[in-house]
Amino acid sequence: MHRRTSAATVCLYAALALGTLVMLVPLAWMLLTSLKTYPEILRNPPDWLPAAPQWQNYRTVWEGFAYYRYFLNSLFVAVMVIAGTVLTCCPAAYAFAYYEVRHKELIFGALLCTLMLPAQVTVIPLFKAFSALHWVNTYLPLIVPAWLGGNVFGIFLLRQFFRTIPPSFIEAARLDGASEWTILWRLVVPMSLPAVLTVVIFTFLWSWNDLFNPLVYLQSEELCTLPVGLLYFIARAEQLTGGSLGQTPWHLVMTLATIMVLPVVGLFAVFQRYFVEGVAASGVKG
Amino acid sequence: MPLRQREPLLWLTVVLLAVTGFWWAGRSREPRPAPGRTVISWYVITSPLRDLYTAEVAAFEKLHPGTEVRIFWVPGSEYNVKLKTLAAAHQLPDLFFSGDVWLSYLRPFSRDLTPLVQRDAAEFGLDDYFPAIRRAMQLDGKDYILPEYLNLSLLYYNRRMFAAAGLSEPAADWTWDDLVRAGQALTREGKDGSPPVWGCSRVEGWWGEWLIYVRQAGGKAFSPDGRRCLLDSPAAITGLKFYLEKSSRYHLSAPAGFEPLNGFVNQRVAMIVGGHVNYWLNYNQTPGLDWDVQLLPAGPASRSGGELAIAGYSISRESRHPEEAWALAKFLTRPEAIAAIVARGSLSVRRSVAEAALRQPGPRANPHNLAAAYRQFEFGEPIPHHPNYVEIMFLVVQPEIDRMLLGELSPAEAGRRAAAAANAFLDTFGSAAP
Amino acid sequence: MTNRRAQSLWFWLFAGPAVAGFAAFSLWPMLESLWLSFCQYEVVTPPRFIGVQNYAYLFAHDASFWPSVKVTLVFTVIQLPLAIGAALALALLLNQPVRGRGFWRAVYFLPSILPQAVFAVVFGYIFQADGGLLNRLLALGGLHGAAWTTSPTWALPVLIGISLWGFGYPMVIFLGGLQNVPRELYEAAHIDGAGAWARFRHVTLPLISPVIFFNVVMGVIGALKVFDLAYAFSVAQAQPAPGGPARATLFYGLNLYQQAFGYFHMGLASAMAWLLFACILLITAVNFRVGRRWVHYGD
Repeated sequence: MHRRTSAATVCLYAALALGTLVMLVPLAWMLLTSLKTYPEILRNPPDWLPAAPQWQNYRTVWEGFAYYRYFLNSLFVAVMVIAGTVLTCCPAAYAFAYYEVRHKELIFGALLCTLMLPAQVTVIPLFKAFSALHWVNTYLPLIVPAWLGGNVFGIFLLRQFFRTIPPSFIEAARLDGASEWTILWRLVVPMSLPAVLTVVIFTFLWSWNDLFNPLVYLQSEELCTLPVGLLYFIARAEQLTGGSLGQTPWHLVMTLATIMVLPVVGLFAVFQRYFVEGVAASGVKG
Repeated sequence: MPLRQREPLLWLTVVLLAVTGFWWAGRSREPRPAPGRTVISWYVITSPLRDLYTAEVAAFEKLHPGTEVRIFWVPGSEYNVKLKTLAAAHQLPDLFFSGDVWLSYLRPFSRDLTPLVQRDAAEFGLDDYFPAIRRAMQLDGKDYILPEYLNLSLLYYNRRMFAAAGLSEPAADWTWDDLVRAGQALTREGKDGSPPVWGCSRVEGWWGEWLIYVRQAGGKAFSPDGRRCLLDSPAAITGLKFYLEKSSRYHLSAPAGFEPLNGFVNQRVAMIVGGHVNYWLNYNQTPGLDWDVQLLPAGPASRSGGELAIAGYSISRESRHPEEAWALAKFLTRPEAIAAIVARGSLSVRRSVAEAALRQPGPRANPHNLAAAYRQFEFGEPIPHHPNYVEIMFLVVQPEIDRMLLGELSPAEAGRRAAAAANAFLDTFGSAAP
Repeated sequence: MTNRRAQSLWFWLFAGPAVAGFAAFSLWPMLESLWLSFCQYEVVTPPRFIGVQNYAYLFAHDASFWPSVKVTLVFTVIQLPLAIGAALALALLLNQPVRGRGFWRAVYFLPSILPQAVFAVVFGYIFQADGGLLNRLLALGGLHGAAWTTSPTWALPVLIGISLWGFGYPMVIFLGGLQNVPRELYEAAHIDGAGAWARFRHVTLPLISPVIFFNVVMGVIGALKVFDLAYAFSVAQAQPAPGGPARATLFYGLNLYQQAFGYFHMGLASAMAWLLFACILLITAVNFRVGRRWVHYGD
């Protein structure tokens, strides 16, 4: 490697640090605001730090306004979606990786095309069908597609990974008399845990962050997931606080936003490698 | 060989968990009756009256032991979209909160209450409703709503700010000119770095305020048959122009986009034209806010033109328990129930309750000039009962008004463009409207 | 396993659910929405065939269709080059032997995995004209900030700015691409006397062009389906109807949602959905055609 001048190095790190500041200021402001009192958020010019961190804001939002319920709803949907994704994407990826069937590539290509399809394109007929089934205002429209291989990206990613497993492993297992089902769950999936984990993480992200589908399919407040709950919170904040505050209680809104963000940040902190690998893998073969 | 190992127990657990999950996910949220009981569902906007409604339902269930009520709360901002979605999915609750503005498009899903209203008129006191309310209740001579409360456009003002500026309080014979003069005297544009204070608020993004001026200038939003948008008439344009010039020429309102949030509550705005009766509760809970109401200032053509809108209860056309839902609707709108709502700070749809409130001796909570509010009934006009009214206003008309406020269009251009777009919409969809 | 029949059986057993899901949740809705786009369908009554009237209305009369197309186009044309440029620049920086690369990468990537709704809300608060952080800071410097979120002039630029925080996805994809560029090529170019720019222009750029191409395609499609961000932004600004002020943030996807679920013009919205679908097909096709000309695939 060539030695770079120290000036260039300083510039590089300065640029990176400045960029970091820009990236993190909104999140920092969110966190700081969530720890302030109502009079503090109105102060002009603004105080950066709260005089004393108001941790009870979190209790107010969580218990007082029963947002633990929305949290649990979000969690329930995410868990069901992840379970469905793993249970249907793994076999599908295995099938596309190891079996030779006529038109297999064509079918796979068709599946991949749906990655390009925005939800808005299919939502109207789906809404019509789910209404006819009386599934509107239940979680089924959010969950059932995942149980039918709805996560095509997952199938794609797993198939790529499965293909790196030497076929001799699988043939050996077959000779031992293991069934295909056993080979899939006892051999292939355990060998592909990083890929499975990546799929789980991304499925969680999509489910946790999704605003569009819950907005369309869930009507009553008790069913809502967090992103919808956040918007409802803003819309009815005046009422929640008994109308005693003149402005939107942004400190509480930011508290809720922080609660929503925390699981994602936590997962990211632990599994950063899988996040990055998942994204990079999606770019490998456009 | 580990590969031969089967794990039936593991897979059984997975299947059981999945089944439980699906059961929970698909569990019908519709009420299921206990044996021998009827369950009715009621969708209501999450509001500060939540505790009141909960108590009312408990009282109702005590009175009707065979009926159980399940309340579903829906936030106000999403309410009408949610309700329509449920209607589309044939999952409307038995009883739902409705209003004359929404009714025009909720009508296909709402039960015609005329026979029930006629049958029980004496029992629930149909005559007790103000005539203006009675008119707003009906669509083509049929009843779809049992009203619970109303909104009426009024002139709201901050008494302390008027006193501090040495101004006499707004009078019943005020005109636009008086509004401008007082508003200018109250405005402080905060050059010294302190936040500006404005004489009059301006409602942006919906028709709440500008439609008043249009009507007071002699204009109309729609022709009486609802087939033509008339915002391009000279009178309507005069109204739009006044709405614009409140900031651009007279400087009594904030420039577009700078309206202080909840300025009236924060005492950074001295007057509101229009407003909403719903906020009274909010105002009265704000310490140090001394406010009152007056008749709307008169425009060049008339004093009439403020909004008079009602909200109340409708029953789903598909309800299997219309009688129970009707009983609940009557219960929720009986004089005692209305009185309880009015006591929190509101206007009454019932004459008996209004008269009792006006007769009440001693110092009254704000607004002191309650009589003016009830007098304003004469000058209120219902919103056009057109099925596409809300969407035409939001989707087609409002963006042109917004652009006018920003100086991109003159009032005449805005009126012309809004009318042209609205008429194109009416030509395509208007005829098909149910 | 050599038995073809057994293979086929297992294939359908394993891939069957996914294929059924594809048929039920993608293929069939596409076809049904094509049919609905030729119907008047307002949910209350069954769909009624009206020919191409929905399309004609969209093109000739609808007051919100063209504005929403314009908003989406402006967003794409401005946001995409900025996002891709920033992503590439950072990927190049991080591809240098910097210390703590994992940390920097994490910091720049993190915002793009957070819920868009949260971003719209947090930024909406920061950009508020009256009492927002930005304008208060500007006021400290004696400047009078604009009505960022409530003026049609500024609302879209603000949304573009917000969405730029999500450039982490293309950045990570670029990083992956850059790491596939063989070191020896740089060494060779360096020995040939190529400067930093020449090395970038003649070594890096051709080799990562497939990755750029992929990011452009995904970026365009991403712009066409913007919803969460714009919707949450509208709610956070307490706009009476989403997409304001004055349709300045009425993205195509938001407009479609509004037509379908705000006003129940399901037929009209289906026509919009099909135009969107056609658009995506077209863009993908054009991209591949153009891509073939300037994208340098290794082999």
